[in-house]
Amino acid sequence: MGMERKKKSGMDRKMEIQYLMIVIPGFIIFTIGLIIPTLMAFRYSLTSWDGLTAEKPFVGIQNYINLLHDSNFMQAWVFTFKFTIANTIIQNVCALLLAIALDSGIKMQKAYRTVFFIPCLISSVIVGFIWLKMFSNVLPEFNEILGTNINFLLFGSSSTVLSGLLIANNWQWIGYWMLIYLAGLQSIPAELYEAAKVDGAGAFSRFLHVTIPMLAPSITICVVGITTGSLKVYDLLVSSTSGGPGRSSTSVILHTYNTAISGRQYGYGSAMSVSLVIVLLLVALIQVRSLKNREVQQ
Amino acid sequence: MIKRKNKSEDATGQRYTKGTFAIQAVMTVIGIAFLLPILIVFNYSFKTKRELYLTSALTLPSSLQMENYRKAFDKLNLSTTFFNTLLYTALSVAILAILCSITAWAIARCKTKFFKFCYIYFIIGILIPYQALFLPIYIIGYNFHLTNTRYGIIFMYVATGISFGVFLMTSFMSTVPLELEEAARIDGCSVFRTYFSVVLPLLRPAMATLIIMQSFQIWNDYLLASLYVSKKDLKTLTVVIQSLFSSQTSDYTTAMAAIVISVLPIAILFLSLQKYFIKGMTVGAVKG
Repeated sequence: MGMERKKKSGMDRKMEIQYLMIVIPGFIIFTIGLIIPTLMAFRYSLTSWDGLTAEKPFVGIQNYINLLHDSNFMQAWVFTFKFTIANTIIQNVCALLLAIALDSGIKMQKAYRTVFFIPCLISSVIVGFIWLKMFSNVLPEFNEILGTNINFLLFGSSSTVLSGLLIANNWQWIGYWMLIYLAGLQSIPAELYEAAKVDGAGAFSRFLHVTIPMLAPSITICVVGITTGSLKVYDLLVSSTSGGPGRSSTSVILHTYNTAISGRQYGYGSAMSVSLVIVLLLVALIQVRSLKNREVQQ
Repeated sequence: MIKRKNKSEDATGQRYTKGTFAIQAVMTVIGIAFLLPILIVFNYSFKTKRELYLTSALTLPSSLQMENYRKAFDKLNLSTTFFNTLLYTALSVAILAILCSITAWAIARCKTKFFKFCYIYFIIGILIPYQALFLPIYIIGYNFHLTNTRYGIIFMYVATGISFGVFLMTSFMSTVPLELEEAARIDGCSVFRTYFSVVLPLLRPAMATLIIMQSFQIWNDYLLASLYVSKKDLKTLTVVIQSLFSSQTSDYTTAMAAIVISVLPIAILFLSLQKYFIKGMTVGAVKG
């Protein structure tokens, strides 16, 4: 008995070493590719490095203090937050409405699903360009046809550029989140609706008391996904507005890119990166926690 | 038709009423609005430069001429960039599929503290966006001589995709029955052989999901590709198309043809493997 156990634990050890060898390559690649850069960003953010010299003068938290007084950086945050909040609301509501409409027993559900989903297969850089041309060349044609006088040149002025970008971004992503809501809706047991009907609940009441609570996990993933995705906006801007007119559509990542790569301020740019990482982590944690709490309560 | 109607009745308990018809009509309008930009891209891609300036954006081209596609091939060095994009995507995704599944398997089977730590370590990567870390990622690539090499960018795609892959694969691992593995082990198979001959074949659906999710992201990536590759012969589709956007604002029919060429492969992949794609998204949805 004792011998057997010893032998067995010997085999376990051998197997554990083999399992260990399996995990190591991924571990190393991940560490070099993502964890070390995170630590590097923290380190560089405490220096005034320009990316060219070998020495990286240590300046403590000076970069972070400067960030707080940097009006361009703050403006980038304001734009990014506006973009994120509007996106989170519009995209969630529209995706959910489309999913409900698709789930209401209409014909050719799959065809609609595909149509709404296709835009998210296109690279954001290309989406930006498509909408640049839509606003400047295509949509104004409708004014002539309909005899209206709507201003479609949304990327042309700093007061409308946000709406233009929201249209482009929502066109691209609504179908993606719709699919998650649709999967959520289809997993709700029909008996729940029948029970609510028997209890005399109307359509709206059924939506409020059956659909929404049962969709809680999907809502969590969509809200967190849209928020964190919008805070990272960059590709979309490159080919559509390049952050303009003026600085009105410069996001945090675009501003960091301009500061660090084009402006050769690696230290200062790293401080911007770190601030974004921290905000993203905080937002994700706060949202997951509060939405999860709601899920549990319901 | 009748069969489908019955099915939807069963699922939602609703009949095809006037209300449903109204929804159908509204959805058709929204669907056309969604399709419009895509149709416009197709339309432009067949127009001549003359038609671009003289006719409305909404009129059809006089003939289906392929001139823009030919120009796109020349200007974008398209045979090379298309091959590059395909190579980076295919290799990164193949490596990710093997690496993530075998790592997830080891993590799921070995329940010691170290492996639990590994799981959390990998999952952290889902929360840290590489887009925010482009600067150190660029510096590390530069120092390790990874920039302007094919293996460098593939390495980065693997490194940034591994978190999601391990997460996805670990959540599938409970569906793999232990008995088969134990049988293989009793037969004297090493851990590696057990994986490749017993576990891997069972993971095919999960692999398909991972492959589709990652290939569409890597194919469309702009930030990493623009940071890591500046040599003409190594560039990817999104990068060269973006340079065409910024340099030739007057002649964008070529750009439109290039867009069609770049979107087509991923659209075909999606349409043929839709089922797995949706499965992957909904599994991802559980993570919240």
